[in-house]
Amino acid sequence: MKTFAAIVVGSFEITMKIFEFSGRNARREIDSVRQRLDLGSDTYVKGKIGNDKMDDLCRTLKEFTRIMKTYGVSEYRAYGTSSFREIPNTRIVLDQIKQRTGISLEVLSNSEQRFLDYKSVAFKGEMFREVITEGTAIVEIGGGSLQISLFDNDTLVSTQQLRLGVLRLQELLHRLNARTGQGESLIEEIASAQLATFKKLYLKDRSIRTVIVVDEYFSVWVARRAGKKQEKALVSAEECRQFLQMLRESSYGEISRLLDVPEEAVGLTFISTCLVNRILRLMEAERVWVPGVTLCDGIAYEYAEKNRLLSTDHDFEKDIVACARNISKRYMGSRKRGETLENITMTLFDSMKKIHGLGRRERLYLRIAALLHDCGKYISMVNIGESSYQIIMATEIIGLSHMEREIVAQVVRFNHSPFVYYDRMKEEGTALDGDAYLTVAKLTALLRVANALDRSHKQKLKGVKAALKEDQLVLTVETQEDITLERGIFDERADFFQEVFSIRPVIRQKKPM
Amino acid sequence: MSEIDFTNPKWYTNRELSWILFDHRVLDEARDKNIPLFERLKFLSITASNLDEFFMVRVASLKDMVNAGYDKADIAGMTPSQQLEALDGAIHELVNLQYSTYNRSLLPLLEQSGLHVIRKHEDLSPQEEVYIDRYFEDNVYPVLTPMAVDSSRPFPLIRNKSLNIGALIQKKGAGGELEFATVQVPSVLSRIVPLPGQEGEDLRKVILLEEVIERNIQKLFLNYRVVCAHPFRIMRNADLTIEEDEAADLLKEIEKQLKRRQWGEVIRLEVESGIDKRLLKMIKKELRMESRGLYEIEGPLDLTFLMKMYGMEGFDHLKAQGYEPQPVPRLPAGCDIFEEIRRGDILLHHPYQSFTPVVDFIRQAARDPQVLAIKQTLYRVSGHSPIISALAQAAENGKQVSVLVELKARFDEENNIVWAKMLEKAGCHVIYGLVGLKTHSKITLVVRREEDGIRRYVHLGTGNYNDATAKLYTDVGLFTCREVMGEDATAVFNMLSGYSEPRFWNRLSLAPLWLKDKFLYLIAREKKYALEGRQAHIIAKMNSLCDRDVIAALYEASAAGVQIQLIVRGICCLRTGIPGVSENITVRSIVGNFLEHARIFYFQNDEEPEIYCGSADWMPRNLERRVEILFPVEEPTLKEELRRILDWQLADTVKAQVLKPDGSYERVDRRGKEKFNSQEAFCREAVRLAGEARGDDAVKSRVFIPERHLE
Repeated sequence: MKTFAAIVVGSFEITMKIFEFSGRNARREIDSVRQRLDLGSDTYVKGKIGNDKMDDLCRTLKEFTRIMKTYGVSEYRAYGTSSFREIPNTRIVLDQIKQRTGISLEVLSNSEQRFLDYKSVAFKGEMFREVITEGTAIVEIGGGSLQISLFDNDTLVSTQQLRLGVLRLQELLHRLNARTGQGESLIEEIASAQLATFKKLYLKDRSIRTVIVVDEYFSVWVARRAGKKQEKALVSAEECRQFLQMLRESSYGEISRLLDVPEEAVGLTFISTCLVNRILRLMEAERVWVPGVTLCDGIAYEYAEKNRLLSTDHDFEKDIVACARNISKRYMGSRKRGETLENITMTLFDSMKKIHGLGRRERLYLRIAALLHDCGKYISMVNIGESSYQIIMATEIIGLSHMEREIVAQVVRFNHSPFVYYDRMKEEGTALDGDAYLTVAKLTALLRVANALDRSHKQKLKGVKAALKEDQLVLTVETQEDITLERGIFDERADFFQEVFSIRPVIRQKKPM
Repeated sequence: MSEIDFTNPKWYTNRELSWILFDHRVLDEARDKNIPLFERLKFLSITASNLDEFFMVRVASLKDMVNAGYDKADIAGMTPSQQLEALDGAIHELVNLQYSTYNRSLLPLLEQSGLHVIRKHEDLSPQEEVYIDRYFEDNVYPVLTPMAVDSSRPFPLIRNKSLNIGALIQKKGAGGELEFATVQVPSVLSRIVPLPGQEGEDLRKVILLEEVIERNIQKLFLNYRVVCAHPFRIMRNADLTIEEDEAADLLKEIEKQLKRRQWGEVIRLEVESGIDKRLLKMIKKELRMESRGLYEIEGPLDLTFLMKMYGMEGFDHLKAQGYEPQPVPRLPAGCDIFEEIRRGDILLHHPYQSFTPVVDFIRQAARDPQVLAIKQTLYRVSGHSPIISALAQAAENGKQVSVLVELKARFDEENNIVWAKMLEKAGCHVIYGLVGLKTHSKITLVVRREEDGIRRYVHLGTGNYNDATAKLYTDVGLFTCREVMGEDATAVFNMLSGYSEPRFWNRLSLAPLWLKDKFLYLIAREKKYALEGRQAHIIAKMNSLCDRDVIAALYEASAAGVQIQLIVRGICCLRTGIPGVSENITVRSIVGNFLEHARIFYFQNDEEPEIYCGSADWMPRNLERRVEILFPVEEPTLKEELRRILDWQLADTVKAQVLKPDGSYERVDRRGKEKFNSQEAFCREAVRLAGEARGDDAVKSRVFIPERHLE
């Protein structure tokens, strides 16, 4: 029996959910509290969290610790979202929160946050598995932005952020002094421009049957209809259209009573519903599924996953890899070559396990780095390293934190460019800490060697076997072809490998009979 | 049907006038010859204290409205000044009836029963005079503070509700100018002063304290000649209006307001009839009284002393037999309450059943090592409340204890501040109510960690967590540990702590957010069934009914053919028997030994009846300005129990009065019906059930409870 608290300090709300895990796959939500607190306006406008807001935040978190005691909570995870990402003094603020409330708050990057959101949806189990067998998009409508993630054959393949959050739009409408009747056409106009680009670049001719909506406002309507019956959380596009029609025709007071929401939330419900309807039309989707989850559910999922409190039925790593593949494809990477390199790096990684001491997560970085190893050539054939680095840093890879993304980007960069040592790297303004730097060095060494083995890009080497022999890593390659080129470059690459691991990689060719 | 405007003021009764009728019904008990004499004294005393509160709160607020120039008509189309006008006549009539009851019925009966109340000190015998003067000098004189008024001494503060003796005095020798003097009849001394019995005489004699002082008043003003002396009493505006948004610290603000209350505007002046005209004029002038609030009383002022008389030793044969609340069969003393609740929901019917299990629930929770947290709302608690000490104990035992103490409970503010501070000291987390709302709901939540996880135990009630009033007020309570209720209870406390409302409520409905809509929905649903030609039936029991929206909905439902039976103890602004509007509605009021306090609502819902209980009346203040909870009772046997409570009250032929189309109340026409007193029947039933639970067969066989069906 474990009780766990998931806390999210969002831009407009602080929430906490308490879960009880009473065995494998037995999870129960026992409490859920939400406190409105508008940190967002402070950070967007002033770039800092004001003192009053800080006091309110600490008071609320302190109260949360009291509620945790109410249930004898043994562990918790607390995350801050965009408002913490946007302030410059994050560390100071986090330390202060720790001092004043005892709560260690961590900051989630957008892609990590989306990944958790995504996990929370996947947490819904049966329904999720059923929905994603056909074309699916997850649409998360936040205060500042809108996130659209696309599925292909039950794997998540791409995710994009659009600056179309409900609060952002509401603020814009205020600024434009929009009349009540005007709102909808303005939203339509603003959203259409961005959504059209999205369709052209990412959606293409993908067919989407179901749109999964995660938000705070539109969801309320579905939740009220559905109550606790999951199957009723599926709503047809036509019903969404009718709901929008109803919102248009009713007064704020009526809507507020009907949905049991405060009147100030009605405007946001309207914007959210407009967006949902717009996206449904864009994707020509049939239906909407509103799983009614929040980030807290995702945090609980992650916790349960780590503590082996549930059996995972969806391979999230596969999603991350699929995303990387998709990015590579966008920049004209060769699929075959990517796969060959992926195979070689994985072989190297696994054979060196005792030496490098890295884990499953680092293996994933290397895999992604292999997949994206030359995406920069899309921009420049000469400056591949730097261009790749820039592309990866600017692309969201779902499931990777900001730091993790930088690890991958640096590994890819040093695959082409000279390695930069830590002190210099710090001067460049890296976000990496010492440990992460070492990971970069080790993964770079591995990727470089692997890359050398396939220098001609012809996939000459069919199978590579690696074996550790004292201070040598013997790579046995099986090929009939001439590998002079590979051998030539290999030596140069091997130096760095030796520098990092004190092990010399050597090639042995074995010609098959 | 759609042309009828169900909100037409002519179909509504003014709530203040309806309240006066309620006090008349209480007075009817004092006038009922079938009731033991001392019980009648008690009822008369209650009418007096009721009227005091009515003045301080309702009349005061009408005055405020008039002063503020607010003249919006009420539900019945009356402006505040029209209401005051109408009330003046109605209250005078009520007071006249109070005193004629006292003078013509009760005093002679007391005399016959061996208790002689000496009305005037002039009637004392010489020996008694000696005794009384001695008593005055020994006991009374030392605590008196006489005050005279002249050019150098301003008019003193006359305390709210205090009894005083006003006098006109004249300096000895100098002659001439009359001066005003006053002395408060000390509230620390008993108002009833017993006189020594005569040898061989059974008759006991008493005299009231103010007569003792009046007789000796000369001793207070030695250099003066007392021209006349008469008792008087004032009532001040006590309605607290707190600017919560401005008050940084609610607690301090209320403390401040309490001090200010003594200085409120005088809205009622009671004087002895036959008071010296010069004296009256002076008092009125100094208190800035208009003549409307003046009451010239034929008898002793402030009849609440009758409650003390009720408590006099002896005379047991003139009192109703005391009733001992019975144990709840499911919760025998010493049982593990949590275990019992796990077996199934438990309904409690107070005061027929004991309130002890509710106290024990918290006591056990305080000691139970598996209990993690206790949360409770407190509105009015008793002095030395065992619940408060159990909560403090729990906090000391390391439990998370959250208590919402409502500081705005009228007349209990001071008391509640004391408790709140004490609980805080013990380590409880205390919430001082919500801005702009009174928390009237009665709910307790105990969180317990058990083998299979967190389990929540909930107690919901219609009455306050007050072990003293639980012996006098009829209320129902429910113990449950159903998950759906636990989740809702948690959500209630989260909301009371200032967190946002949950996405869903499973079972509970809350005022001021959703409750009114819920009631309107339930009423409309019956209407729908009636229009479909199906059976539709509402039975609702509450203390007051004066919400216009609800009444209009009831009218609509009645017009559609819904049978509506209302059991409304107090104010009822609804009128019965209006053709096409309320022909299908009956209203009855039960005023008995116990104060009817439970709120129970039955809706037929076609074939699946629903029964709800709650803390809210159908009054705007309950539905709009208070936090109230309505909870369904779902366990079939408990639903039957509640239905029986309603049915028995509807069958009552002794304590029930029925609202007539002309707006008056009349006792039930008993022709062809047996005498049936529902409160007594509940007592017998509780005794029988407790006996049965003890395995006491004799009790079972001797007490017969006739089953009754509806009138």
